[in-house]
Amino acid sequence: MTTPTERIRNFAIIAHIDHGKSTLADRMLQMTGLVEARAMRNQYLDRMDIERERGITIKAQAVRMPYRAADGHEYILNLIDTPGHVDFSYEVSRAMNACEGAVLLVDAAQGMQAQTIANLYVAIEAGLEVIPVLNKIDLPAAEPEKVAEEIAALIGGDPTDILAVSAKTGDGVAEVLERIVDLVPHPSGRGDEPLQALIFDSLYDSYRGVITYVRVIHGELKPDMDIRLMATGFTNEIDELGVISPEPKLVRSLGPGEVGYVTAAIKEVDQARVGDTITSAAAPAPAPLPGYRKPTPMVFSGLYPVDSNDFPDLRDALDKLRLNDASFTFEPETSVALGFGFRCGFLGLLHMEIVSERLDREFDIPLVTTAPNVRYEVHLDPKLRIEDEPEILEVSNPAELPAPNRIAAIREPVVDAMIIVPSDYIGAVMQLCEGRRGDMSKMEYLTPERVELRYRLPLAEIIVDFFDRLKSQTRGYASLDYEPAGLATADLVKVEILLNAESVDAFSAIVHRDHAYDYGKRMVNRLRELIPRQMFDVPVQAAIGSRIIARETIKARRKDVLAKCYGGDVTRKRKLLEKQKEGKRRMKNVGSVEIPQEAFVAALTVGGDDN
Amino acid sequence: MVTGVAPFLERTAAGTGVYVHVPFCLRRCHYCDFNTYADRDELIPRYVSALRADITRVLGAGPTALAPPDAGAPAQWPAITSIFVGGGTPTLLPAADLAAVISDLRAGLPVAGDAEITVEANPETVTDDHMSVLAAAGVNRVSIGAQSFVPSVLAALGRWHELEAPLRAVETSRRAGIGQLSLDLIYGTPGETDADWRHSVETALATGIDHLSAYALTVEPNTEYARRVRLGTAQAPDDDVQADRMEQVDALAAAHGLQRYELSNWARPGRQSAHNRTYWRDGDWLAFGAGAHGHWRGRRWWLVRSPERYISRVLAGESTTGGHEQLGADERRMERLMMGLRLVEGVERHAVAPLDETTVCQLVRAGLLTADDDRIALTSAGMRLASAVTLRLV
Repeated sequence: MTTPTERIRNFAIIAHIDHGKSTLADRMLQMTGLVEARAMRNQYLDRMDIERERGITIKAQAVRMPYRAADGHEYILNLIDTPGHVDFSYEVSRAMNACEGAVLLVDAAQGMQAQTIANLYVAIEAGLEVIPVLNKIDLPAAEPEKVAEEIAALIGGDPTDILAVSAKTGDGVAEVLERIVDLVPHPSGRGDEPLQALIFDSLYDSYRGVITYVRVIHGELKPDMDIRLMATGFTNEIDELGVISPEPKLVRSLGPGEVGYVTAAIKEVDQARVGDTITSAAAPAPAPLPGYRKPTPMVFSGLYPVDSNDFPDLRDALDKLRLNDASFTFEPETSVALGFGFRCGFLGLLHMEIVSERLDREFDIPLVTTAPNVRYEVHLDPKLRIEDEPEILEVSNPAELPAPNRIAAIREPVVDAMIIVPSDYIGAVMQLCEGRRGDMSKMEYLTPERVELRYRLPLAEIIVDFFDRLKSQTRGYASLDYEPAGLATADLVKVEILLNAESVDAFSAIVHRDHAYDYGKRMVNRLRELIPRQMFDVPVQAAIGSRIIARETIKARRKDVLAKCYGGDVTRKRKLLEKQKEGKRRMKNVGSVEIPQEAFVAALTVGGDDN
Repeated sequence: MVTGVAPFLERTAAGTGVYVHVPFCLRRCHYCDFNTYADRDELIPRYVSALRADITRVLGAGPTALAPPDAGAPAQWPAITSIFVGGGTPTLLPAADLAAVISDLRAGLPVAGDAEITVEANPETVTDDHMSVLAAAGVNRVSIGAQSFVPSVLAALGRWHELEAPLRAVETSRRAGIGQLSLDLIYGTPGETDADWRHSVETALATGIDHLSAYALTVEPNTEYARRVRLGTAQAPDDDVQADRMEQVDALAAAHGLQRYELSNWARPGRQSAHNRTYWRDGDWLAFGAGAHGHWRGRRWWLVRSPERYISRVLAGESTTGGHEQLGADERRMERLMMGLRLVEGVERHAVAPLDETTVCQLVRAGLLTADDDRIALTSAGMRLASAVTLRLV
């Protein structure tokens, strides 16, 4: 069914959460006649439950829309959906690379947000034609002229040329489709060259194995061919070649510029990673498409089953999750306090939340999640190196940081963050960023009322509570985006928490020396409040190496007895005791201190700040 | 530690009791979660008839109806060592009715000549006439609910008797010839000071009573006190304060010659409550009256709670049992530990085997437990933490 490239338009929609991307996509499906209004499920393209509940798109998908344009020709519009969160920026960049154009959709009431701008830059870098569109013009709070100025200031052009639509009512959407046909360049690949198809998404399906979403750059995909994935080397024959329109539909071929899906009995998404190139096994392309990158986890956390008997189940669950999430890593670890569990790596905080939520939802395993941390590069003092030990250690579990005297330097990941905020809140944002060891690199007024701030910040400072704090201190107006900016040396120390003189590894944290005392004091106070009084005094201490930096005491419990007059109802008393015994079984025992699960979870959840 | 106690499982040491419940009160105290009603006095005559009919029916059926013979239950009723009429306020019943109930029990059971026969009383219901009738029926012990001798504390507890009423009740009982007297006190009521508590304990002891029960105020759900705590008009008791008060009463009682023999009970030598000790030593007792609990050779049962239902069951010739459970070995052990450790004499090791010796050692080292070859027992510090210690041993 190969379509001439001149009749193909591949585009993405760049939008901030809630700016109406899914609604616009729905409307396009309807207007091209692909989905009837009454069959319309709201936000057709978002698949997973979690996405639907959170109103965000995690997994990209592509939909093929046949469209008869005003010029009388039949076109194929491929809408490639992109994830909308900073954790998935690599996926966004791959999806953009599968397009020639992008609709920049901006809420006419809220204006440009940091994430939109970040994604816009990705689109510009990928050489896409950008079509700005104002949405929600029917809202009373809409300020289309002002927002149009803002957009024009960023991408150039005449603000009066910017289309204004209401995706909700469908007003103006027809013009958007026309503009896509007019302005987005058609693909330029050649059908007679060796096959190169870009994987911009892959999903696990328990019946068909991994479904890869591809954009053919050169050559042709055919249902009967053997394919090879150039990064992983996976080779197999194609099972199914199709397009989503909007339900899966088998096709006889996919030519240059076309977008569709391929299945080939691929067992896990790790074998068909986003960014990889599909080529023909018989006549492979000499080189893969540029830009492939292995996903690298940035945020780490220990996952432990509340009930240690669930450990094997947790392993199975993680194995299953990994089938459809190649960017998530895990390896077994043990904790004195928590027992057997896994150190898991995630792209970011949202990714971590999604994984734990899925574990909870799909596998029903109650978990303790340790406070998130980043991966540190630890340079050991060569004089104190143990034989065969490498010069540089990678530490993603604070408990594993070597003793302070053996460390020559620690380097931590840093990010370049972009924050867009109404100018009234500049002070609050600067205060927050500076408190998080941020260095301002740029401040620019987008309009007289809105400012773009750029900071270099340690990633570790962002993954704990930064976004919530930013939101609360700017009454929800600030938006944030960031990208990795390598590693930087910092004066970091491990703060250990000791209960009854015994270190509780799960509470260890790597923090900047200047923040160590605050962290220690906070954790110690928090634990004093959370841990119930025991039969003896329990010292709670924070320490750097052997130096105690904070101390509190949980005073011994003096009375724990039912000294009341109860008739002969022994049964009720025994039932109470049985319940307590069951509760005791679920307690974690550290330094002969019994810690209820809830206290552990509460202490770990907040991990960082409550000042 | 008390020594020379007969082996735990020998029933004579534990005794065999009878509990009779009277679920009526003049008014309900704020902390009370017992099965009692302040608005159903009109039921009293029918309740007494039902109670007596129930006693006659159960006693007539014999002990084998309570537990299967393979549980080691004797074919004949064993000697009864105690009868306890509790409530509620038993003395709200006409004295003649109480006397009739007691004589029914005496008629149907081999009540020992020296059996302890206790009636619980609220101070305002104790009169000369009443006590004389009870004494004539064989009642030889009265337990009087004083709770406090401080007006503000009584008010907080929702007790409305005159301040001196318990003292008069003690005198009245004595005049009737009832020699064994016990007062109940409650400590740790928010607002009560150390001096208040000292005053209450000393006032009680000054009457020359030979038995004292002192309980920590406990906020039970569905009580007036719990409601007030929820609304913020009353405070919840403080554990640390109650710990202090518990030590305080122990010292004061000892100074007056009353030794602690159970977590909440003090007595002159030989005046410990036989009935309560039956509970704590895992003995057997029969139960009569709405909501009463009984125990017979590892079987526990409880009677229907509502007085109306109790009456109608009896009238219909049906069993008054509301529910029961047959205890397994683990449950039995758990109960012996939980109950036995409340006694100063502690519990025999073989009755609660197996014990984790490491834990026993830890608890001994922590000063919470004493242990010898035969028994384990809580220390005074251990008494304050009895639940926590028990939890470690179960």
